[in-house]
Parts: sequence; C-alpha cells; structure tokens
Amino acid sequence: MSATAALFRNEVRMFARTPAAVVWLVLPLLAAVIIAAIPAARRPSEVFGGLSVSQAYTPTLTLFTISMVGLVLLPQLLGDYRELGFLRRLRTTPASAADLLKACLTLMGALCLVAALVITVVPLLFGVPGAVSPLRYAVAVIASTAAFLALGTVLSAVIPNPKAASGVGTAVAATQWFAAGMWYPRALFPEWLTTLTNLMPGGAAAQLMGDAMTGAGSATELGTGVLVCLVWAVVGVVVALRTFRWE
Amino acid sequence: MALIDVSGLTKSYGTHHVLTGLDFAVDEGEILGILGPNGAGKTTTVECIGGLRTRDGGTITVDGMDPAAPPPGFRAQIGMQLQQCRLPAKITPHEALDLFGSFYADPVPTDELLQRFGLAEHANKRFEKLSGGQQQRLSVALALVGRPRIAILDELTTGLDPSARRDIWGYLDGLRASGVTIVLVTHSMEEADYLCDRVIIIDAGRIVADGSPAVLAEGHRSLEAAYLDLTTRTSA
Repeated sequence: MSATAALFRNEVRMFARTPAAVVWLVLPLLAAVIIAAIPAARRPSEVFGGLSVSQAYTPTLTLFTISMVGLVLLPQLLGDYRELGFLRRLRTTPASAADLLKACLTLMGALCLVAALVITVVPLLFGVPGAVSPLRYAVAVIASTAAFLALGTVLSAVIPNPKAASGVGTAVAATQWFAAGMWYPRALFPEWLTTLTNLMPGGAAAQLMGDAMTGAGSATELGTGVLVCLVWAVVGVVVALRTFRWE
Repeated sequence: MALIDVSGLTKSYGTHHVLTGLDFAVDEGEILGILGPNGAGKTTTVECIGGLRTRDGGTITVDGMDPAAPPPGFRAQIGMQLQQCRLPAKITPHEALDLFGSFYADPVPTDELLQRFGLAEHANKRFEKLSGGQQQRLSVALALVGRPRIAILDELTTGLDPSARRDIWGYLDGLRASGVTIVLVTHSMEEADYLCDRVIIIDAGRIVADGSPAVLAEGHRSLEAAYLDLTTRTSA
C-alpha cells in the first residue's frame, strides 16, 4: 500500500471516530430535508425567479457544506496534527507533505461530493424538480469543491495552530458566502461587485450552480466559471506545497 | 568507518547561540550517547543530523548524504524518536505501527513490535487512553518499524519503569548486534553506561568530553560523578 493510501485509510478511520466533525455535514443535510418537506417550499415562487425555495436553497446548502469542509474542517485537522507534533513525527519518515495533503484532500473531497449528492437528491425524493442541467450542476460542484479545498489547503499550510486555522477559515468562508450571495442577493449586486465576486470561488461557484439550476448562462459563462475555480485550485495547491510547514 | 560525520556544527535561535562548533563522528554499528544539561544543545544536534533543523554553519554527512538537502531514500535509512511528539488521540498502537510501517519497503511486522515493546495487550487501545510509559514505548517502536540503519533516539526511556527500560535496552542490544548505528540522547547515566560504546558530553553548545563510559569515569567514582564534574566545571 502506498503512503498516500495508508494515510487516507487512517484519515477515514480518524474522521469516523470524531463525531463533532460530522455536525458540519449533518446540519445542511437536515436543512435540505426540512425545507423539502414543507409543501410551500416546494412550490415555484416569484421571489426566486420561478424556482421553489427548495430548488433555490440547494446550491446554497451545497456551497455552505463545501466551504465549511474546505475552509474550516481541513485547516483545523492539519492544525491539530501540527500542534500535536504528529506532522513533525511524519516528517521523520519517507512520507512526504504531498502524501499527507493528497490523503486529506481525497477524504475531504469525497465528503464534499457525497454531501452535495445527498443535498441535491433529497428534494427530488419530495417531488421537487432538480437542476435543468444536471451535468452542468455536477461540473459546478466538482469545480467548486476543487477551488474551496485548494483554498483550505493554503490556509492549512500557513496557519500555525488549529484555533487560528478555525478562526481564519471561518472568516474566509464568510467572505465567500457574501460572494455567493448568502448575505445579500447576488441579483441586487452592482455590476462591478458581480464581476469582482465572479472571480472568487464563492461567486463563481454560486453563478455556476445557479445557472445549472435554471438553465441560464451561456457556454462561455460556464467555461469562465469553471476556469476561475480551476485557477484557484491549481494556484492553491502549488502555493500550499511550497509553503507547507511541518511544525 | 564513520557513518555520521559532524564538523564545525553551529546553530543559533535568534541571539542565543545553542551550538558553537561541534565536531564528532559516529562509526557504523556504534552506539553513541549524547549527554548534557538541559538546554545544552543535545536535541538540536540530533535534529540537525536527522534533517529536522537547518544548521547555521559546519557540515554534516550521514552515510555520505547531507541531511539539509536529503536525497530520496535518506529518511528510509533513519528512524527517529523525538521528544514531545504525540499521535492523534483516536489512533491505536496497532494502527499507528501499521501506518508508519507502510512507509517502508520492509517493515518489522506490527505484531512483533507490539510484543517486543509490551504493547500487545494495549494494541487496540486508543492513544489517548495509553499511559505515559506506553506512549513512550510506542514512540520508540515507531522509530524502529522501518528497520533503520541509523536510529536517533531522544530521551529513549524517559517515563518508563525499570522493567520496561530494561526491555528496551535489551532490544537495542539486539539492534547493535545486527549492526544498527544508534545515536542516543539521554539524561540517564545508567543508560549511557549500559548501552553506549562512546559518550560525548555537550555543555553550553560545545563538546566537553568524548570517550567510552569507562574512560570518562576514570579517576571518578562513576560516569555520573565525571559528568557532574565536567559540566559543573564548564558552567562555572
């Protein structure tokens, strides 16, 4: 078994034994169930441009989950390891920082994708129509996951301790929620703010998922959104590998 | 032939000069003990040898390799047991040994190490539930799981009861017989006397004595008396 595979198996085990970490996954899933269970939330609404509340909140809950996993759980995990001295201990072995990051990213990526799938499927079970373009929605989820995990990896690499990692991660997540329109509707953003936030993972992801739900947006807009996410992903991983601190 | 060669090693933390020019070598198959008061620079020395700290000056070669720019394969040859390194609270000794063993081409079987280090009964107990001595034994076992050519052990038996200490000494005796080179940082004169072929005493960042325990103890009542005499004299 390779070092990455062994570390991944270990991460899965440790995660399964840490119930507190699961809260961030359970809450959005619970919210998706509750919203979809309310009959009024399943009916189309003018406020959401003809989408139901359940449809409109599917991208929001998905983005919230992905951002919490990427920007809070991941930095906290690696921060804990650094504080314990476990990273230092690993450094004395042939395992590399890249092996550890790959293992953690695979676990966190899998959590994001499974959570996104459940959040998306739950409304369908209640008869709520899904995304007009499921394929585009899937691409949006994957690209957003890559961007948020990469951003979280940078935070993990440079923030020294778990408390600081959790605080900074939450602050960064909050800016991305703003960019995604969770604090204030993106439809009401001035044009310059829309353009600016579309260059952030939160804004690009919200635009991609929203367009996939309604079928709006051109192929160029889709390509631009995916490109923004991928640039964040690649730059994030490169920066993280170069700045990673074992202690 | 020297497997580890340290020459003119210097290291400072800010304005505090921890090592001011250490020179020593460790032959293949030798057990070298490093003694010295707290803060003398013992841990810094072994961490520079293991490539965990970057030296300010001097040269270090470990089997011809520079630990500051370790080539692939460097870490597979060295097993390190560090002070103050904990494992995730929920990992068990069995899982930890399996995990660390998977990093090496030919690891010691997990069950053999659990047995040898008295951890077999606690193999599935979580790390957070192990006693200090059990955690320490696991830490030593992890350092040796990869069958290293060189073992660097920092405060090997701190916190262990006399029986566990003797067990680990017995294991190191076996390693010595199989040709493993060991660098041992210790505060225990009994341990140094029992295990080490040679001892260096570091005080205030420099070597104040270098020789076999028997030679260093000559003219004193014991190695401990020699140590106290040497370190008190240099500190005064």
